[in-house]
Amino acid sequence: MSSAPAVAVGVFALTFLLALPLAVALRGEIRSHLGGSLMAGEVTDGVNVTWWQEFTAQATGLGTTFSPTILGFAATLDNLSSVLDGRAEIAPIGGALAVYLAGWTFLSGGIIDRSARPRPTRTHGFFAASGVYFFRFLRLAVVAGFLLWWLFAYLHPWLFDEQYVTLTRGMAVERTAFLARVAFYAIFGALLVFANVLFDYAKVRLVVEDRHSAVGALVAALRFIRHHPRQVMGLYALNGLVFMALLALWALIAPGAGGAAFSMWATFVIAQIYIVARLLLKLQFMASQTALFQAHLAHAAYTAAPLPVWPESPAAETIPR
Amino acid sequence: MQPITPSPGARSPRNANYEIDARLDHDAKTLRGRETIRWRNISSQPTSELQFHLYWNAWKDVDSTWLRERRMSGLFTPPPADAWGSITVTSLRLRERSGEWRDLTSQMQFIAPDDGNAQDRTVMTVPLGRAVGTNDSIEAELEWDAKVPRPFARTGWVGNYYFVGQWFPKVGVLEDDGWNTHQFHAATEFYSDFGVYDVRLTVPRGFVLGASGRQTALNDNADGTTTHTYHGEDIHDFAWTASPDFIDLSQRFEHQTLPPVDMRLLLLPERRAQADRYFAITAATLRRYGEWFGPYPYGYLTIVDPAFQSQSDGMEYPTLFTGRSRWLVQRNVQTPEGTTAHEAGHQWWYAMVATNEFEHAWMYEGINTYVTARVLEEALTSNVVETRYFGGFIPWALRDLPFSRLDNERIAGYRLNAEADAPWTPTFRYWPSTSAVITYNKTALWLHTLERRLGWPMMRRILSTYFERWKFKHPRPSDFFDIVREVSGQGHVWFFDEVYRGSNTFDYGVQEFRSDRQGQNAYRTTVVVRRFGEGVFPVDVVTRFEDGTEVNETWDGLDRRAIYTYERPARAVSVQVDPDRVLLLDVAYSNNSRTLQPRSGEASLKWSLKWMVWLQDLMLTYAFFV
Repeated sequence: MSSAPAVAVGVFALTFLLALPLAVALRGEIRSHLGGSLMAGEVTDGVNVTWWQEFTAQATGLGTTFSPTILGFAATLDNLSSVLDGRAEIAPIGGALAVYLAGWTFLSGGIIDRSARPRPTRTHGFFAASGVYFFRFLRLAVVAGFLLWWLFAYLHPWLFDEQYVTLTRGMAVERTAFLARVAFYAIFGALLVFANVLFDYAKVRLVVEDRHSAVGALVAALRFIRHHPRQVMGLYALNGLVFMALLALWALIAPGAGGAAFSMWATFVIAQIYIVARLLLKLQFMASQTALFQAHLAHAAYTAAPLPVWPESPAAETIPR
Repeated sequence: MQPITPSPGARSPRNANYEIDARLDHDAKTLRGRETIRWRNISSQPTSELQFHLYWNAWKDVDSTWLRERRMSGLFTPPPADAWGSITVTSLRLRERSGEWRDLTSQMQFIAPDDGNAQDRTVMTVPLGRAVGTNDSIEAELEWDAKVPRPFARTGWVGNYYFVGQWFPKVGVLEDDGWNTHQFHAATEFYSDFGVYDVRLTVPRGFVLGASGRQTALNDNADGTTTHTYHGEDIHDFAWTASPDFIDLSQRFEHQTLPPVDMRLLLLPERRAQADRYFAITAATLRRYGEWFGPYPYGYLTIVDPAFQSQSDGMEYPTLFTGRSRWLVQRNVQTPEGTTAHEAGHQWWYAMVATNEFEHAWMYEGINTYVTARVLEEALTSNVVETRYFGGFIPWALRDLPFSRLDNERIAGYRLNAEADAPWTPTFRYWPSTSAVITYNKTALWLHTLERRLGWPMMRRILSTYFERWKFKHPRPSDFFDIVREVSGQGHVWFFDEVYRGSNTFDYGVQEFRSDRQGQNAYRTTVVVRRFGEGVFPVDVVTRFEDGTEVNETWDGLDRRAIYTYERPARAVSVQVDPDRVLLLDVAYSNNSRTLQPRSGEASLKWSLKWMVWLQDLMLTYAFFV
């Protein structure tokens, strides 16, 4: 996606602007709690655990999420752990996540469409594609949502609250229990990855082949994965490795509490660079999956002729070939 | 109860002496034992019965008082079928003066002196058929069978690891007003008399065994078992642990003025790298408690590194304790040091100064928590907030967040449950789920508060006097308060009324603060400080002015508010109630100060930006799904 900086700017704007109002709301809570206290000076220049404990004790709503785990790389660990451990988010955060995922669902059509073309689609083309595919993706999202709901509402508790607990109840060695948990993460994670890959390629096929049926795209995606398992999983692993490398780097440089003024803004900018890097990686991930599919597209049985209407399907890009 | 003077060579009255012979069946998870008790009545009244604790019956079924309390506090999950434990006395005989044995087995009966729970089987009484007068002795012999539980709490087996506490029929304490033999409760369990223990424990060969007392013999038996013999003097309980996986390590604590102590560490292989940390903090505790209060006299101490899922971590027994650690630990976080120091400290406040935990748990858990914090602050240089992820296995140390054992550790829990119970209430009657907050947190906080009023040297003198006078005895709250009065010269009745006899919350703060120009170089400053909570404590009020001057007022804190008005040539800058944070029990210290140059805007911006990054990261994590 290096040739589409506007797309990167767009998804960053979505990530930034959606978080901003909630941050402003939290700022109000913090400001109100600190009031005219001298402690405000201490927590401006550094950190004060006493104040943090007091704030947490009286916090409601968003304030309950303001814990030390938001600092530096702990935030990343906290969030990854929350997904794998099936933590439920409070309503305002859950709402923001829902809007964010809806935003990505909307933009994904344009992103995949742009990734599939060797030329810029411009703003109108990008959003036209986003609009065209949004409702198809929504239908796909219903299926994906049902699967994920089953994974998190039924499978996760069964695995981690029942099987894992039963298995480790008699374990005297923590390391063994950890390995058991890793194994359970691997089982659950493998299912998540498979669902992720399946729906990713369904989206790619919806866009590239201009499909209308979400179910048909899912079946087609499954067929593609079945025929190219090594390439699909190899690409996924490669992207996963890059993601891990980024996290490792972030673990080393993630700023902590810091101070006020320049220090505050400097650490914020560094954190935003990390956020941008995560976003670029996600865009790269989507683009690489699209490219992989396209690389295997020109086969004899291909008949899904694109409609010659604007914006034309990116499958049209394959016609000259 | 008047303290009995120990016989020559003894440190304690030694009125409850045990010879125990027990055999563990590893396959069946059962324990069969026989004990001879030589008990002497050291109360001022005769008795015609003996009462025993049979704690393992707390895990016999869900109707025991222990499990009722656990269920009430929401801390109970149904155990697997093989988890239940029990103890059944199969024979009880009393030696008559003639030397004949009289069988009393059929006369044993269970009683429930605390709550009348007819289903509880944790206290047993047996009539003796004759009176045992003051300073008279009797000898009883018991045999019992026990099913070792999976760990409900503190004791049981997991894998090849056993931690065995509260495991033998233990005689209660006869006081001047009768037997003090409480049922086993969810949050309290200790009170017994001192004695000499001779214990032979037979376990499978290859098991490493550690126990209260010192090992005196080790004999391999023809049936593939080994008998470990232990002898302990002037102790009031006996616990043991066994596992073939223990690494058996030793170090010697030596000090210029304190007696040496052989420290034995039974360490599990997965925490092999933590051996030095266990030894170092144990030695630091032996040193500081020894220097501050009095020497550890036994000469040996066993540290047990407990197995995962054993729930036996952080427990104290005479001359033996369990630590608490994890497989993965951070260097700048006080794990395993925190718990190790605390449990080692219990050798003073529990093993030697043997208070009645059922009724006054604050006297040893609270006092020890208070002192532990001081040891950790002095012995270790670093402690930061730690968070754990992925099921609690992966630790992450927040280097920016220094965590003070003195200021931060106990107030957070106390703040949420400050009014749960008044400490004078017998501890076993505390609400189970908040019992620890009052016992540990509140006591540690008010002792720190007292220290900040009196100074550490005075507190040290109070505690060392208390230790010296009450070691190997059973002090009561009034004994501690008497020593505070005696040593400090002040009764502090008002203070103990507030923190011990009451359950009020303390919260002082600034209600209003303004400084208005009244003319050329003239300002009127008005300070209104407020007592928001019901608790009363005298506090200082410091007002600072732009010209660098300050005014310090002492407010008795009795009224709901105090108003101070100052006419001065400089504008006021800030006011602070209790600026030195003497009242550590104040549940809201943020409202204790006010400035006319507030920085809450900057602070809230800084922290909301930090939080925003966390939220962005969370959103990106969830973006995995689209």
